[in-house]
Amino acid sequence: MTHHLIRAAILTGFAMFIVYLDRTGEMMLYIAPRMELYVKLSAIGLYAAAIYQVYAALQKRIGQASPACDCEHDPSPSVFKNIIIYGLFIFPLLLGFLVPTGTLGSALASKKGVSLTGIIGYERTSAPSPLAPKDEASIAVSPVPALQPEATTQDPLVALFPYDEYTEAHAAYGKKLYRQSLITVPEKQFIETLTTLDLYREAFMGKEIEITGFVYREEEMGHERLAVSRFAMNCCSADALPYGLMIIWPKAIDYAEDEWISVRGTLTTSTYMDNEIITLEVVKIERIQAPESPYVYPDLDFG
Amino acid sequence: MRKFSFRFVTPLIAAGCLVMLALILTNRELPAHLFSGANLQSFKILFISIILEAFPFILLGVVFSALLQVFVTDAMIKKFTPKNPIAGVLFGALLGLLFPLCECGMIPVVRRLIRKGMPAYIGIVYLLAGPIVNPIVYASTFTAFRTTPAMAYSRMGLAFAVSVIVGLLLYKFMRTSPLKSATHTRFAPHGHSHSHDHDSAGKRFRSRVASILSHASDEFFEMGKYLIIGALLTAVLQTIIDRSTLTAFADQPLFSYLFMMGFAFILSICSTSDAFIASSFSGMFDFGPLLAFLVFGPMIDLKNTLMLLTTFRVKFVLILIALTAGLTLVGAWIMEVLL
Repeated sequence: MTHHLIRAAILTGFAMFIVYLDRTGEMMLYIAPRMELYVKLSAIGLYAAAIYQVYAALQKRIGQASPACDCEHDPSPSVFKNIIIYGLFIFPLLLGFLVPTGTLGSALASKKGVSLTGIIGYERTSAPSPLAPKDEASIAVSPVPALQPEATTQDPLVALFPYDEYTEAHAAYGKKLYRQSLITVPEKQFIETLTTLDLYREAFMGKEIEITGFVYREEEMGHERLAVSRFAMNCCSADALPYGLMIIWPKAIDYAEDEWISVRGTLTTSTYMDNEIITLEVVKIERIQAPESPYVYPDLDFG
Repeated sequence: MRKFSFRFVTPLIAAGCLVMLALILTNRELPAHLFSGANLQSFKILFISIILEAFPFILLGVVFSALLQVFVTDAMIKKFTPKNPIAGVLFGALLGLLFPLCECGMIPVVRRLIRKGMPAYIGIVYLLAGPIVNPIVYASTFTAFRTTPAMAYSRMGLAFAVSVIVGLLLYKFMRTSPLKSATHTRFAPHGHSHSHDHDSAGKRFRSRVASILSHASDEFFEMGKYLIIGALLTAVLQTIIDRSTLTAFADQPLFSYLFMMGFAFILSICSTSDAFIASSFSGMFDFGPLLAFLVFGPMIDLKNTLMLLTTFRVKFVLILIALTAGLTLVGAWIMEVLL
């Protein structure tokens, strides 16, 4: 009977924890929005199981045999083992309820390695294609022909935004961004925007860009550089990966790691660890409140 | 059975601790630094997020398994499972298309199916192929590797091939049931039957609902503890391991395969989201190692090894891991050469 009651308490605890996370809005720190519904539904399942355990406990108490067989799942008779097993379930609950929640920041970003060029896959696979040409002439001699419609060759934008079948969406998005006088890197398409800026860096050279994120710094960046970063989450924070944009500012060292900043600057490139990466020369920089959701999510509808 | 798992779980945790110690020493980081506020936060968020993310799937798995237990008779399983071993193996490999469960929900279901008389080799094939050869995982892989759609096809193809080969080898060489407590031969159904024959239909229904809840919640606790240990180790390793120091070895061909497979093993993320992790590595690693990551990870990882150990005999689990790892390695390398 004790077993049933302990189990009921643990199951209720997890269900309560999920409700607690939902109410406090902390759920978004752990789980991507598209997964939240499933987690909430599982809370209902946990409640149902908890109620059953209480029911089973009561049935044992009045001497009735449990309606189902528990022939294969008899709990271990050893008290010590049971303490360990139930302790294992209680540990995440204690951790969840008692340890104050922060957010992922520089400490984990440095372990995971921040991508300063958007999604790397595009750059690698499109390296031989005319995506990072030095000038317009190199587009013509590029070994991989881009799939450009003939009719629109008069449009100067087409030359600036060549694409292959995989970067078509980025090229279209790039053209849209190009017409804006100030390009704000939005939360909704954070990664897509960074990737587009990186793919078509020549086109965007000198453009004014605005970006918000936390301060991430590596030793090699020195005193004048830092990266404005966000974690991009797919399903849960275990698969979150950091993306960032390098900025140059003489007093960059004044900004502590994990501080939230909003930066406006003009796009240029700089060399970092032997790679040429897109960089912002800062015009305006300010400290801001951490946003409600520290994460950004890949836009699955992009393109 | 419990004693058995304890005998192996404790050394596994000890091994994990040793790995961590080694990493601490090589990184020359002080342990105090590792338990700093920021790392504790990262650990807490990762640990709880893995558990939360797995809950819906594990619940789905145990409920599905309980439904099978209560509503599907052994005879029905026998009837639907092909008798011919080759057809059976193919059936197991494609079962994921019908029942797309992820690896957390898979183990209780497969155990139930084997206990109900499905030949063990077919169950294992479903266990291996199910988390990959299904529409959801295909869609997520395709999205993550939009620039290399070959990745999605190769992932499905290689997972299918590896699981079929493992299944055929098991059919040929496995003579006893791989399940832990079961002492019967592989074709014998599980000893006890669940024919709770009651008089009135209403009572039978209530008894069945109670039976489903009972099986589901018991199984939840059985699987849950390994999920939590797995999530714990995964979160600790993710908080401690510096990815960039390890990827310094990415140039050595064999090492890059082994590294990506080991990395998949440690990460233990769900097969629906691992493609996104893999795509973040595409700058550093070639097609082959990434494919090995995507095929090996959902089949075998830290979290599900612990869960496998609750269900299957230790020797069997080790053989299964070795077989899967070897075949994935060779398969991914062949794909790399061919494509």
